[in-house]
Amino acid sequence: MSAETTGITSRPSQARRKKKKKNQLPVAFALLLAVVGVAIWLTFVGDNLALFWITGIAFGIILQRSRFCFTACLRDPYLTGSTSVTKAVLIAFAVTSIGFTAIKYGFAAQGLPIPGQSYVAPISAATAIGAFMFGIGMVIAGGCASGTLMRVGEGFWMQALALFFFVVGSLLGAHNYGWWERNFIVSAPRIFLPDVFGWLGGLLCNLAIIAVVYWIAHKWGKRKTQEL
Amino acid sequence: MKFFDKLKNNENYKKWFKDAFPYVVGALLLSFFQIVTFASTGNPWGVSGVLANWGAWLFRAVGGSVDNWYYFSTPGAQATLQRGVLMDPGSWRNIGIIVGALLATLLASGFKIKKIKSGKQVVAAVLGGLLMGYGARIAAGCNIGALYSGISSLSVSGWVFGLFLLGGAIVGSKLLTKFFL
Amino acid sequence: MAKEVTLDCMGEACPVPLIKTEKALEKLEKGDVLVVQIDHSCAMKNVPEWARKQGHNVEIEEVDDGEWELFIEKV
Repeated sequence: MSAETTGITSRPSQARRKKKKKNQLPVAFALLLAVVGVAIWLTFVGDNLALFWITGIAFGIILQRSRFCFTACLRDPYLTGSTSVTKAVLIAFAVTSIGFTAIKYGFAAQGLPIPGQSYVAPISAATAIGAFMFGIGMVIAGGCASGTLMRVGEGFWMQALALFFFVVGSLLGAHNYGWWERNFIVSAPRIFLPDVFGWLGGLLCNLAIIAVVYWIAHKWGKRKTQEL
Repeated sequence: MKFFDKLKNNENYKKWFKDAFPYVVGALLLSFFQIVTFASTGNPWGVSGVLANWGAWLFRAVGGSVDNWYYFSTPGAQATLQRGVLMDPGSWRNIGIIVGALLATLLASGFKIKKIKSGKQVVAAVLGGLLMGYGARIAAGCNIGALYSGISSLSVSGWVFGLFLLGGAIVGSKLLTKFFL
Repeated sequence: MAKEVTLDCMGEACPVPLIKTEKALEKLEKGDVLVVQIDHSCAMKNVPEWARKQGHNVEIEEVDDGEWELFIEKV
């Protein structure tokens, strides 16, 4: 194998050259001001645009600072045996489930329509096939939906390209959606855990599944270290 | 400029703005904002639905029309398309994610443009993007809308999505090591 | 005689730096140092994490804006 394909060279490392680092903080603060400026402008433009803008900014910052990656959470256990991201994702599921359920229960208890129920999606072959395709795609492209957006912000041309084709793929999917709907989705069940187990039961069931998967991930992570 | 240089080298600044957060901290912060999103907008966080709308607007911009597509036939979808991208909240949120990540990188003085290195990366980006886009539409969401928000909404669809997502990720990993390394 | 080997992973997307690092480390002997050059923030976290889990010594040096060198000593 030549050095070109593996990138490995055996000469003494030229590693310790130190390049002059530019300070990017001035640009950062200018951008921060721009972000605030946009937020203020948006409050005049439309209803909750500023809210969506700010939560988007928050998500972007959090994903980047913590290197949070849904792709890694599913790919790493297979590829490297590491489950630290998997476990963190499961914690996010657990905490968010509790929050969401509390909110939903609050509405239901007052006899009001429950918000967010459109996210209780039909379960069909389309779900399975779509998820499978997405899984392949995200590993190959080097990032999932949120991860791709994050990496565009970090300056990766590859993910900018992936984003463009994500958009194209979405349009193709939307174009074919009618076919999937007629053949699979229209007759598919939606299962909302509280409908089956009651509010507390539904939440506990969800948390129990999360706990089991967490335990499996934990064991897997330990086992892989011992093997290697 | 001196102020910024001092700031960059300040120990506390580094701890908060430069060093990476632990994954669990990220998980808790994301959960907080997910819950805030749900409480304030009436819906959980979603990413890929917006991208389909971007596709529709782009298509229109080059002369196409999605007006008699089933997917865009609902009143809600029509209203969104009519309002346009500038008035679409979801679009602002997605752009916010990009800008937020950029901001975080700059605040850590770690921004660098990473150009495409090889033809393999192009193929991977094109193929990966198409698969994600198409898959997310027919599965009614992506890793955020279908998986994260679905499971958090106590919907069994989230778990089903997760199971098949795992299967796809394994196959994707095999393809990656075989063809794209 | 411990040698130092450089692995250039600049511009590589997740998880390529980690996979290449694993393969390169396999070929080294105890005491050798692998210098991994990366510009991907994911790799800046997952490569050291993996290497430390394997028991190796890892040092991270920031070389430029968004560029790092990971010094991994095989143990």
